Parts: sequence; C-alpha cells; structure tokens
Amino acid sequence: MISEEKLKILTESAKYDVSCSSSGSNRKNEGGTGNGYVAGCCHSFTPDGRCISLLKMLLSNDCIFRCKYCMSRADSDVPRVTATPEEVCELVMDFYKRNYIEGLFLSSAVHRSPDYAMEQLLVTVKKLRTEYHFHGYIHLKGIPHADEKLVREAALYADRMSYNIELPSEQSLKLLAPQKSKESLLLPMRQLQRERNIFKAEKRKGHFLPAGQTTQMIVGASPEPDGQILRLTQSLYRVTGLKRVYYSSYMPVVHDSLLPEVPAGERREHRLYQADWLLRFYGFSAEEIVEEDGNLSLELDPKCAWAMRNLHLFPIEVNRAPLEALLRVPGIGARSAYKILEARKYTKLDFSGLKKMRVVLKRARHFITAGGKFYGAEGEAIRGYLGAAEAKQNAVQLSLFSDRETVLSALTGEL
Amino acid sequence: MIYFYDGTQTSFLTAFLLAYGDADAVLTSGSMQLALGEETRFVKADPARAKKAEKRLLALDAGCMEDLSTLLRSGDCDRDMVAMNYMRRIAEQGGPVRNMLADDAVLAAVECMRRVSFEVHRFHGFLRFMESESGALYAPISPDNDIADLLLPHFRKRLPAYPFVIHDVRRKKAAVYDGVNTFVAPLERAEVVLSADETAWQALWKNYYRSVNIPSRERLKQMRGYMPVRYWKFMPEFRGE
Ligand code: SF4
Repeated sequence: MISEEKLKILTESAKYDVSCSSSGSNRKNEGGTGNGYVAGCCHSFTPDGRCISLLKMLLSNDCIFRCKYCMSRADSDVPRVTATPEEVCELVMDFYKRNYIEGLFLSSAVHRSPDYAMEQLLVTVKKLRTEYHFHGYIHLKGIPHADEKLVREAALYADRMSYNIELPSEQSLKLLAPQKSKESLLLPMRQLQRERNIFKAEKRKGHFLPAGQTTQMIVGASPEPDGQILRLTQSLYRVTGLKRVYYSSYMPVVHDSLLPEVPAGERREHRLYQADWLLRFYGFSAEEIVEEDGNLSLELDPKCAWAMRNLHLFPIEVNRAPLEALLRVPGIGARSAYKILEARKYTKLDFSGLKKMRVVLKRARHFITAGGKFYGAEGEAIRGYLGAAEAKQNAVQLSLFSDRETVLSALTGEL
Repeated sequence: MIYFYDGTQTSFLTAFLLAYGDADAVLTSGSMQLALGEETRFVKADPARAKKAEKRLLALDAGCMEDLSTLLRSGDCDRDMVAMNYMRRIAEQGGPVRNMLADDAVLAAVECMRRVSFEVHRFHGFLRFMESESGALYAPISPDNDIADLLLPHFRKRLPAYPFVIHDVRRKKAAVYDGVNTFVAPLERAEVVLSADETAWQALWKNYYRSVNIPSRERLKQMRGYMPVRYWKFMPEFRGE
C-alpha cells in the first residue's frame, strides 16, 4: 500500500489541474472491474466546492523542467517522490471497488527525460487495463517532447488524454515554461486527433481515447486578453477537435519576478467558462462574444453583454422563435429552451406558464414577449436589471470547474 | 372518499380504478388525519383488477408504468396524489402527457420523478462500500426515496466479481448481489466484520480527500449544495478519526 506521505505529495502537486471530469466514455466491463459512465459521476465534494470524480495524482513530482509557475520545477526545494506503477494500480483498484472514485487522472512531472516519464505512465495504464482488468475511467496527461510511439500506445488504454497548453501564447510559454514550446503541445494533440479519426473511420477494434482530448490554460499569469484566449479556444474546438478547454485562474504558489504576486480574479475565470459554453452549446462564435484585443465584461455575463450590443434583435416571441433564437436570450438556458419548444406544441405560452415551467424570467423578460405581452425594460435601462439579477445568483453560480457542474450546466445551464 | 392502499403498485392500480370516477377522491398509503364524517375505504390489492387498469393505461402511454413505479418510490409526502393526478391526466388526455409541462399535475409528477432519479444518480457517486472479511462489500445508505434496488444494475455491471449488500437502514431492507443473482430482502441490522486492510484504506482515502482540497478557495455553501449534509453519514471522509 502506498504511504500516506507519498500520496499526499503526489496529490498536492496534481490538484491545481482543474479537469476532473469522468464523462464521455461508455467503456464496457469486459470481464474485470469497472466501466465508463457517459454522463460522468461525482463521488465527493471537497470544501473548495470541487467535485472528486477521479483519483488525481502525479506518478512523480521529480522534474527536470523549469516552468516558473510550478512547485515541482527542477530548481524548487521540495521533497521528491515517485510512485511505482504497482502502487498506483493497487490504489486505483481498492479505491474504485469501495466506490470512492470513478477512475484515475494520472499525470507526471518530466521525470529523468520526456520519454522515460511517458513510458512510466504508459506502463501504469497498460498494467491497469491488462493485468488488473480495470475498465473504469482513465485520464492520462501527455508529456511534451515524448516519442510519438509511446503517446500513440498510451491512447489505446486511456479514455482521455490531455496536453495542457498552460499559456495562451508562444511568447508567454517561452518566458514562463522555457522547455515547452507551442509545437511540443499542439503537435501531439493534432497527431492524436488524426489517429482517433482514422481509428473511428476504420471501425477498428478496441478503444482509442473514447472521451477525446482536453486542455487547460492558466489565466492571469501572462498578459493575453480574453479575446485572444477565446479565439485560441475556438480553434481548439473547431480545428483540433478538443472536447473541453479548462481555464484555471492563476494562483501564486511560487514566487518569481516574472509572475504576478496576486491571484487572478475568479470572476474572470467564471466569465471565460460562460463564454466557452456559448461557443459549445449556444451557437456563438468567438468573434460575436468579444473583440480580439478585448476582455469580457466583468459586470455582465457574456450572453447579456452580447444581447445589449444587439438590442435590435429583441424582443422575440417565445411561441414562435426558433431554437437558435431562444438559446440567445439572456437567462434562457438550453434546458429551458427545449422545455419551451415542447410545451408550446400543446398550448400557447404566457408569462405565468413560463413561470410554472421554472423558466427564470429575471433577465429573459427584457428580451421576450409571450403571447404578445412584454414585461421588460427598454434600451439601456435593462443593463441595471441584468447586473442585479446576476448578483443574486452568484452564491450558486461561481466556480465552474466541478464535474456535476459540467454535466448539469451543459443540460441546464441557465446562462 | 379517502382510499387507503398499501403503497404497492398493484394496490395503487386497484385503488385507482375504484377512485377514478370520484372527482374528490383522496388516495393515500400513509396515515392521515380524518375529518369528522369523512368516508374511508381500505383497498386490498386485487391483481386481476390491477392488471386491467395497467393494460388500459399502457395502451395510452407505453411508458406510464415505469413512471408510476418511480413515483411510488418517492419519499415526498404528497406522492400518492401526485401519482393519482398524473395517471388521471393520461386517462383524460388519452395519451402520453409527460411533455405538457405547463400542466400542474404533469409538472408535479415530472419533478417528483426527477427527484427520485436524481437521487439514484447521486448514490452512484456517494455510496460507500466497505470490505468485509469474506471480500463481500457492504454499503449502508439512508436515501430519501425507496431506491436501494434501483442501484443494483449499476454496481453489478461495475463490480461483477464482488458480492455486495446495499443496506437501506431507514427502510430496513437490503438490495443484494450474491455474485450471480440480485434480489431484495428485509434486513434489520447487519453485523459486518471488516477485512484486515479496510481501516487503512479508509484512512488513505481521508488523507487523499484532505490533500486534494484547495483551502484558499473554501466554498462550503456550494459544497453542501452539491452534496447535502444528510448524505455524509456513511462517507468515511466525513467521519472523525
Ligand atoms: S514540466 Fe513544468 S509544469 Fe510539469 S511538473 Fe515539470 S516544471 Fe511542473
């Protein structure tokens, strides 16, 4: 059994990775233990409000790289530990059968060399799948600069892989993560995506990253504006075919003259997630949301901000508007939009009907008519109401990086 | 007229058939305060009648018996009337009504069903097994709704090699997988002898739980929103040393 001290160190160095989702894989139990849960599943919540879905840890924190923002970097004075593949496998199996976790999120520092670190990750997941017959969820981090053969083989065993872009521009990467380069991160992502497509097209047997790839960007450690970040995000979704982009607002865990001393605002992170949803589920493009060198409004959520710039498109009539238009109404989320589509087949909707259906009207009422009736404010006066409506919701809405949130917001997010 | 029934689906359907014509009918499986002069009737389950009702309703909505089963598992105190009104709407409408979301009776039923299935989903995550000496797994639960057996398929698929017992300590019943079959049985108390390593694994899990938290970002309110305190009781990460 792995020692408490070792697990503590390997967990604490992995916990700032915000992706914890266990969704997207329907891997079956083929004689052994475990299976996928397409919608993802939270097993616990920590006092910081985040979901525990996967056992999130590093295989080793013993790094030869020197990324300025990272406490495992080669020149930092921390205790170094490395777990054996067996220790990790045993831990996963025993946690999993007690239903503590949905699977494993395994990452590693660049231990000895990129190839060595990647190989150790590969050995671990391969062992889990072939010797321990584990069919639960595995998310594996890729090591930049590692041999592509190792990466390709790992993809046969993992449900999801991720290379963290970390910094939204080549320049910042050079400055803060000198051993990484944009290419060392983007090339393996593109390679994996290409091979995943081929794998699917040829209907090959087995699995090749059924839950796809994700990435993460640190926000606020470097000067890139939201407009630039969201354009990068958009191309990662559209061109590279990623499933999710995570944002993690910068927290100073190490001190360096090149890094800001203060944590980045969580509100900015929150706004980026909202904009990200608009890209993925609401049919918006990055260009509609914010100009390239601009930042998202902290005062209004991005959908409200967009609507305020496009008041000439409103109000729309809920009994007639097509789905795409409903989805663009501030305060009407995907779930409400679908409810409206269903319910209006049977009856003409008025405001009391909408209320009964639990459609939140605080913001929406300024942008819709129901049965020809309008109860909103006009023009710029709306702005004040929108800000106030959000302030009330904040207790529940802030922080978006828990797994249940991912799932529910996709379905119910009332943006 | 107040119709008392025993909470089972057969008994519900028997009562439903009897009460259908009575616009003021009240259906209940619990105890209730009777007003003076209130007429009451105790309905005994009648399989033949229940079958008849079931057939008629199924002809109108092929999914309605599943809905009914879900509704009758609810721990809400008004679930009998919610179920009654919902089934009545199906009969009146002559077809499925579940998408008529501006209808009060439908909305009440849909929300009640959602609470039940949401709790099933929650327990897929929040349930905690402990390992016994024999290797079988044991999980005590105390859910709001009567869902122990609904958890069987999920865990059986996931852990086919481990016999397990999911013990609803509130309703004193157990959903069991013996390694081959699943079944439900009454269970008052369980004596579990833990395996040699069980305590150590629980300690390691608590240690992990503490390490993965980011203390500078404390959001207890949100945490409790996602995982209400009533579910913590059987989770090792919330039990003191
Ligand atoms: S590669 Fe960079 S981010 Fe990763 S562990 Fe090493 S120093 Fe930290």
